[in-house]
Amino acid sequence: MIDLSSVPNIPPGFIFIFGAAVLPLFGKGKIRQVYLIILTALGLISVAVMREPQTSWVFSNLIFLQVDRLSLLMGYIFAIAGGSAIIYSLATVKDNGHHICALLYLGSAMGAVFAGDFFSLYIFWEIMAFSSLGLIWYEGSRRARDAGMRYILFHLFGGCALLGGIIFHYMSTGSTAIGPVEYGIGYWLLLLGIGVNVAFIPLHTWLPDSYPKATIAGTIFLSIFTTKTGIYMLARTFSGAELPIHGQEYLFIAYMGGAMCLYGVIFAILQNDVRKLLSYHIVSQLGYMVAGVGMGAIGLGLIATEAQHLAIDGAFAHLFNNLLFKSTLFMCMGAVIYRTGYNNLTDMGGLAKKMPITMITCVIAALSISGIIGFNGYISKGMVIHAAEMHELHLLVLILTLGSVGTLISFIKLTYFAFFTKNDEIEAKEAPIFMLIPMCVTAILCIAIGVHPEFLYNILPYVGATAHYHAFEVGHTFSVLQLVLMTVFLFFMIGFFAPHEKVTYDVDYLYRKAGRAFIWSIEKPLVGFATAVEKQVLRLADYIVKFSQNPRRETRLSIGAGVLFVILFFVLYLIIMLYAGWLSP
Amino acid sequence: MEKKAWKGILLLIAFIVVVLSAGSLFVGHSETFAGFLYGAGGVALFMLFAKLMTLIQREGKQDD
Repeated sequence: MIDLSSVPNIPPGFIFIFGAAVLPLFGKGKIRQVYLIILTALGLISVAVMREPQTSWVFSNLIFLQVDRLSLLMGYIFAIAGGSAIIYSLATVKDNGHHICALLYLGSAMGAVFAGDFFSLYIFWEIMAFSSLGLIWYEGSRRARDAGMRYILFHLFGGCALLGGIIFHYMSTGSTAIGPVEYGIGYWLLLLGIGVNVAFIPLHTWLPDSYPKATIAGTIFLSIFTTKTGIYMLARTFSGAELPIHGQEYLFIAYMGGAMCLYGVIFAILQNDVRKLLSYHIVSQLGYMVAGVGMGAIGLGLIATEAQHLAIDGAFAHLFNNLLFKSTLFMCMGAVIYRTGYNNLTDMGGLAKKMPITMITCVIAALSISGIIGFNGYISKGMVIHAAEMHELHLLVLILTLGSVGTLISFIKLTYFAFFTKNDEIEAKEAPIFMLIPMCVTAILCIAIGVHPEFLYNILPYVGATAHYHAFEVGHTFSVLQLVLMTVFLFFMIGFFAPHEKVTYDVDYLYRKAGRAFIWSIEKPLVGFATAVEKQVLRLADYIVKFSQNPRRETRLSIGAGVLFVILFFVLYLIIMLYAGWLSP
Repeated sequence: MEKKAWKGILLLIAFIVVVLSAGSLFVGHSETFAGFLYGAGGVALFMLFAKLMTLIQREGKQDD
């Protein structure tokens, strides 16, 4: 027997990044497919054999491998969901460049999760932004290119804020270790940087804008890593963060989660494009995780309560589950788009008989995300809501419960209008095998965790926190059953939520208007002013040259040039005064 | 019976269930049947939001 404990752990991120570097050596045929499957297995094994706690791969101040229960949980789910996405992409992706972007994205997300200091985190954070951009641009259309530009602008802004926050944090504490941040400018910059990735309202618009425009496989990768890495960092640095308003302290991260939950679901219900609907649901589901993180406490140096531990466990249980059902949903809708060529619900329908396995897996994932009893979403949503009840945050409990109703409405709409409405004209056949395998695996895991949540409880950050949480308690189960029955009944009876071709403006409308106004202000008044100044300076220079050649002939000076001449001298005078310190009191 | 009549009866039953559920919650202070109320309240809320959102919607394909 090989003693695995004596074998040094390799950061899983490095395996995928190195794997991306050597991918072109394997051509474009079957060998590449085999290579990618082996790489997926290697990534999964590298996480499975990881020992915790450990800190290794330390270079100067950079720590590339810091393992504890939280990072290990993230490693597991990234390896499972990322591996599924790689196998799925074998059916649709032909370009090596696309695979390289995907592997770099997966590797950098893993790197960020296992990073032990802020600077190595920042390195991986930026690699994530640029490699994911490739997955949008590989779609090839103009709308994908434009959405990619907006996406990277947002992430560069977030990256700059993150770096600024790290620098301020380092200046005030002298430490780069990832952990809770002191209140100050660094605190706000870090929150802003992480908030962009977590899709805080109103920083969320890059998500529903870009994800539906990426390649079919690219959307699945995108739905896995960026936002979840953000949640992980939020938990490490801002769990239980409070905001003082009028002398009272509010769990503002928790309420931000509530706002995201409701906001995302309101917009999701209005969507016709299936991937846009799912993208808004990422925002909504992130809301549950953010709420959980906001109520929890990690590494604050305080004796955390049972409710705080349950909140963190709930947040990460939902993250784990969300990656399973959300990637399944994106895979199913990707398969539908791949086979039909349609993106909109108004064009779909009648696919249940033509794509039965896709339909079954999609329904399982829809039941899971809607929090139906027996599926994994029921377990983790219940944990977050129960933690909010324990904290006596009644408004948050109500918001999160209403969010579940909205989610159920959206997913009845999605599955019913995509698969079960009558449409004799649509032509499609079942998805390719490489698409079906990961879809089935993740769908089975949704049921397995829903029926046996102990598997999930055992890998959560706080093992004992779930001891007092009973997912299948009669009262809770009965209440959820009532909610589901009433929502399903009213959905079909009222018939209000049918899809239609309409564009819904989000706050990015304001950003784009503001952006255009900014560019106009640069192009027109500012450039006009600069041109006028340049013209006058040139005239003045010309005059000085001629005057120095023959002072008696060049005595006339235009009024504009004269005024400029005076201003220049005055500015020069002020600079000298300032430099010499004569202006100081 | 006509389809519309059936629909009306079912909606009436749902309405009665919601009223009873609200009664048990607000008068009896029991959450045993609160799930019906949350479900109906949620659907009503999202219908309201959807109506409000028509103010910032325009006709056409969902694109940029």
